[in-house]
Amino acid sequence: MLIAPGLIFLVLAFFFPALQMLGLSLIGEAGGLTLEHYAKVAVDNFYLGVAWRTLRLALVITLACLAIGFPLAIVIQRSAPAVRAALIIMIVLPLMTSVVIRTFGWLVILGPGGLLSWTLQNLGLISSPISLMHTETGVVIAMVQVLLPFMVLTTLGSLSRIPPDLDAAARTMGAGFFRAIGHVTLPLAIPGLLSGSLLVFALSISSFITPSLVGGVRLQVMATSIYQQVTGSFDWGFAAALSVLLLLVTLALVVPYMAAAARAGGRG
Amino acid sequence: MVGAAPRWMAPVALAFVAAIAFFMLVPLAVVVASSLSSSEFLVFPPRGFSLRWYGAVLQSDAYLAAAWTSIRLAVLTVVISLTLGTMAAIALTRFAIPGREAIASLFLSPLILPSLIFAIGLLMVFSIYGDGPSFTGLVIGHVVITIPYVVRTVSASLVDMDPNLDEAARMMGANWWQRYGLVILPQCRAGMAAGAFFAFNISFDDAVVALFMRAPSVETLPMRIYSTLEFSPNPSVAAVSTIMIGLTIVLVIALDRAFGLGKIM
Repeated sequence: MLIAPGLIFLVLAFFFPALQMLGLSLIGEAGGLTLEHYAKVAVDNFYLGVAWRTLRLALVITLACLAIGFPLAIVIQRSAPAVRAALIIMIVLPLMTSVVIRTFGWLVILGPGGLLSWTLQNLGLISSPISLMHTETGVVIAMVQVLLPFMVLTTLGSLSRIPPDLDAAARTMGAGFFRAIGHVTLPLAIPGLLSGSLLVFALSISSFITPSLVGGVRLQVMATSIYQQVTGSFDWGFAAALSVLLLLVTLALVVPYMAAAARAGGRG
Repeated sequence: MVGAAPRWMAPVALAFVAAIAFFMLVPLAVVVASSLSSSEFLVFPPRGFSLRWYGAVLQSDAYLAAAWTSIRLAVLTVVISLTLGTMAAIALTRFAIPGREAIASLFLSPLILPSLIFAIGLLMVFSIYGDGPSFTGLVIGHVVITIPYVVRTVSASLVDMDPNLDEAARMMGANWWQRYGLVILPQCRAGMAAGAFFAFNISFDDAVVALFMRAPSVETLPMRIYSTLEFSPNPSVAAVSTIMIGLTIVLVIALDRAFGLGKIM
């Protein structure tokens, strides 16, 4: 059977580790089943704060991607083929570059003596150097750049399935440009915008590299605190419990996304 | 397409796109600019012009070793992922396997699980049942996160295949090897190439699985960049990053020429 090698590989290398982690999160220090690791998250104000920050940042990042991504997708969709190709490369090239390198760029821009501070100083808007490192604003700016391509590509997929005649019909019937967008394009693009938002939100709560380098240890999110538990405190049961919680939130978001993508007949 | 946008929209749209293009590309541009600086520090604007950091990188054993590890890792990942993924995609699209839908979604499921969480699970398994993280462990991890892309791209190219071709080959007396080698695999070529591109790119760029599965003697380029950034950023990191950006540009252009980016993204 052609399928057996791949299937056996995935069961051993993918499903087994996932189950192993679930198991560790439920086994107490004395052995035996317990929910003590989960209870620790619920009663510890520090971890509740981390979880709250993770969700809050993800929400802001998703809304920002939505606000930029939807108009951008409309412009790309309506551009001449050559412009369109160039704009898609502009979206895909950063996506294909390692997140570590993109975050590095943001460190040089947002850091003390960076491009942002230098520009604002030369424009006379600020008098002394500023730094957005270790701030939530800095994390949001960098994360929006990292995740925007997912929003744009998903939205573009749903826009391309809207028959162009509909828009022309609305115009012929006397609808203005914004009325046509608001009453024809937007309602039909909602599945794409929704799945783009779910995807961006899910990716953002589990992002590690950008929050870790831009936010630093003072500004912990779920992913960075899990990393600390695993490599610093070696508290695996607790790290596993945090991961399982993160996974549950992700699944709650991604399963509707996959269903929406399948319904739309897209390639997700 | 209709073009009846109000006249004032054109400059607004242009300004908007220019702003976004700047936002998307400026992080890459500052990395390239920093790599050409002659100063010891990463400040803006870069002071002086020199290629000394490229020289420093090419003479650094640590960077060269990391580059070699990354390339070996990415190539092994591509070979294994492409083999397992193509076999699975052929089986899933051509045979009526019981529970085919379910198996297909099993193969795509690593896409759903954040790689961070998978990496921790893998680290735990390797530490509990083995000698801890290793290069082999890293290859296994990368095959898992890249296999869905191969299955997806190869399946997409097989769906467009003409089933009569294989039927014709069989009627003409072609044996199993001839049918797969001469009829079926050549038709998967585009899907396999796109899958190989994604697998290589993901493995070469990954820092998350690599950081968790960190073994003392194994360091990839993204790991090296990450740990340098964490402690002491300097222009030599910018030079390495610029080389990696260059490689990405070449790969993206090649992919665009071969298939058209709009179609496969």
